[in-house]
Amino acid sequence: MDQNEREQMNEDIRQFLIESNENLVTLDDEIVKLEKTPENKKLISSVFRTIHTIKGTCGFFGYDRLSGTAHITENILSQVRAGQRKLTPPLISLVLEAVDKIKMLLISIETTGGEGEVDCAELIGRLEQAHLDLHWPAEETPVAAPAAVKTRAKAKTDAAPSASLRMTEAAAGVAEAAPRMTEVVAIREEPVAEVALKSASAPAPVMVAKAEAPEPAAAPERRRPEAANSIDSTIRVDVGLLDKLMNLVGELVLARNQLLQDTSSQSATLQKTSQRLNLITSELQEGVMKTRMQPIGVVWNKMPRIVRDLAQQCGKQIRIEMIGADTELDKTIIEAIKDPLTHIVRNSCDHGVELPAIREGKDKDAEGRLLLRAYHEGGVVNIEIADDGAGIDPAKMKAKAIEKGLITEEQAAQMGDRAARELIFAPGFSTAEKITSISGRGVGMDVVKTNIEKIGGNVEILAGEPCGTTIRIRIPLTLAIIPGLIVALTSEPGGRVKEERFVVPQANLLELVRLEGAKIAERIKSLHGTPIFHYRGKLLPLVYLRKVLGKSAAPDDRDVVSIVVLHAEGRQIALVVDTIHDTQEIVVKPLGRQLKGLECYLGGTIMGDGLPALILDVAGVARLASLQGRTGVGQEAERGRMQQVDAPTQMLLLFRAGSFHRLAVPLPMVARLEKVPTARVERAAGQAVLHYRGDILSLVPLAQVLDPGCAHDAFAPEIMEVIVFTDGVRRIGVVVDEIVDIVDEAIAVRRGCTAPGLLGSAVIGGKVTDLLDLHAIVSASGDQWSTAQDDTVVLREVA
Amino acid sequence: MMKALVVDDSKAIRNMLARILVRNGFEVLQAEGGFEALNLLEGEDTDLDLMCVDFNMPEMNGLELLAEMRDQPRFDDLPVMMVTTETHVEFITSALACGANEYVMKPFTEDMIADKLRVLGLLPY
Repeated sequence: MDQNEREQMNEDIRQFLIESNENLVTLDDEIVKLEKTPENKKLISSVFRTIHTIKGTCGFFGYDRLSGTAHITENILSQVRAGQRKLTPPLISLVLEAVDKIKMLLISIETTGGEGEVDCAELIGRLEQAHLDLHWPAEETPVAAPAAVKTRAKAKTDAAPSASLRMTEAAAGVAEAAPRMTEVVAIREEPVAEVALKSASAPAPVMVAKAEAPEPAAAPERRRPEAANSIDSTIRVDVGLLDKLMNLVGELVLARNQLLQDTSSQSATLQKTSQRLNLITSELQEGVMKTRMQPIGVVWNKMPRIVRDLAQQCGKQIRIEMIGADTELDKTIIEAIKDPLTHIVRNSCDHGVELPAIREGKDKDAEGRLLLRAYHEGGVVNIEIADDGAGIDPAKMKAKAIEKGLITEEQAAQMGDRAARELIFAPGFSTAEKITSISGRGVGMDVVKTNIEKIGGNVEILAGEPCGTTIRIRIPLTLAIIPGLIVALTSEPGGRVKEERFVVPQANLLELVRLEGAKIAERIKSLHGTPIFHYRGKLLPLVYLRKVLGKSAAPDDRDVVSIVVLHAEGRQIALVVDTIHDTQEIVVKPLGRQLKGLECYLGGTIMGDGLPALILDVAGVARLASLQGRTGVGQEAERGRMQQVDAPTQMLLLFRAGSFHRLAVPLPMVARLEKVPTARVERAAGQAVLHYRGDILSLVPLAQVLDPGCAHDAFAPEIMEVIVFTDGVRRIGVVVDEIVDIVDEAIAVRRGCTAPGLLGSAVIGGKVTDLLDLHAIVSASGDQWSTAQDDTVVLREVA
Repeated sequence: MMKALVVDDSKAIRNMLARILVRNGFEVLQAEGGFEALNLLEGEDTDLDLMCVDFNMPEMNGLELLAEMRDQPRFDDLPVMMVTTETHVEFITSALACGANEYVMKPFTEDMIADKLRVLGLLPY
């Protein structure tokens, strides 16, 4: 064989591998569907043809084991096609095994160029046995015959002597599910799925389901024209090329931004041209982004097989349904969610859906249902994995977490149901009574969570016991180009104004606030070194970007303060910057290795003027800020906090009143903190009141309410500290002696405190602290707030 | 120059077959299925000397394509060679009954193809 021929042969082999891989992607799915609709001739033919083509082609290259495996599998399928034998679950398992073997051989050929060490003799032996015996497996198969199938067929066992007959009945029973599956497939058949691009690069072929591949049982007549279309209107593009295009478009976007900035003062024609360029660039950008989009069905395709295998192994019956398989996501994201998604599905099958007998006992259908759903919502894609199984029992979760030492009993006692269910994401948590090979050893869900958070998404558990579990993943559409707000820090070294810009991802943005003059002092308070911002009736921790990044402090005498209100990881922070610019589409560039370790940056970008800017990781900034703010806390408390990483923390306001040296109330309940000259206190109807913001504010001297006998006079000091609470309509001012601190901690409340007006006590900041019962305080003041009022409820739950 | 149309859903097979035919003096057209082949024959003024048809293809298999073509008199004289993995006698006979002139088994070699071409009178002995 000369050089040229050898090259041609290699090219043929490469082509063969691409084709085979493409066909194999849908094969699992087809075989699993075939199990449910064994009479579907088209499906049988399609499965047969795939195996047949592999056999036919591999003969040219002398791959004997591959050819042998494919050949005998084809023979069995040909018997099925000819109606000589039925596709029983054990037979399907065997065929799937053969498909797996074929995949292994193909991988070996792809990576090593030969069939390698893959051993086929034993499997081929079994396949041959099955081929010769039309009633294989003879009787009572020890391995595969699933309990699930037996329950279906139990009615007529005496009348059905042979295994295959019994299986037929069972299969007919399962076939009920078929119409639903068809609906789902119909969605995938829409042309959108066809646009998906297929990779032609040999080492890492990206497999995309062909639109025509999953065969619809009910709509065969639709196939021909569509399939013909898909051949005409799609083209394979190397992923590397797409990545390059994406990069170039990114650069073009930057150049456009630059041009737009430069031409703002130029001639009219130039402005016109640049505007046109602007439009074209935007469209081009969108177009290229779309080429990178793949339907989530690419990942979901594998699920029916996985679910089927798991159900067989556990003796369960599980039906899988998919809605929105054509929902498109960026390729990088698709790749990133593949494993987490598989893990969640496995968990749902293994831990969620119950055994048929148990389900029937609960008046549920013996067959469990697993629903995969994907849909767009705003700029994000929601992916839900829902099962109708046993659900997550909060009590069980707590017990397990305590047993594993993840939380203490006190923490468990005050933990809400939702928080308890979220324990599933704690590292080292596994609720399975026995560790199974299926769901692994409980190292998964925390990894799932971190992996999804890594790509800017989040996972949450929606529903709970007794109606099954729904896990929702929310992820951004794409990672490459995001809208972001440009903020800046300015400095004046040597009189020259220098600006350093940062990007805040739009997704984290809540509101922009500009405070001027007197408003600054009114809305920003400093409490023992913790700056607090009054924001819409709430108090937010104020974070100075300057300080977080370790820059020199800004001069204090500013007459304008620019605040960016942000949210990340379920908390809000107010970030102070020097200047706020406008929003821009920015191209996210990864940071170099040297900068990767920095917690507060997500990446970098190049601005319109060609200068770089860093993209802020809001969650990282918040973490960094809270660490800096905690310097005063003792080491003991710090260690305690480290152990409670998984318990939810909350911001607490600590204060002192009379003989009660440490009192606390959740910070979100506090509307405002005021320092008021005692001289302004007036009396009305025997009560101390204050003329406050055009209204009359009742004042409650806290020390006296808590301990009516005490001789403490709250109004003795010249300036008194007032904590203002509100139910949205009415306000009440609680007079205390001193605001002590603000802490962010997970607390465990001990009840049994007899003092009226207190809910109980907890260790906060290493010291025993009493928790205020706001409701009791309000009643004591002679006022009455509606009990349905939110804040009160929050307080109750806290305790 | 003689002209051949190769119909097979596998590009690997099409390429291999095409190379052999080219070496034996053919200009080769390719189609990846029955519909495409029919469109090709319909669309242009193709004066083919040979058609090589795979048996097992999606949409329209080789026999269906053959039957479709044999309905049109203008293809009466076009020699068709079935390329197949099917080893059963019934398949071979049914292919011949449908109007195939020759058949060749996969995996084929250049010698095998050349041999069949000679039988069809497309190559000199």
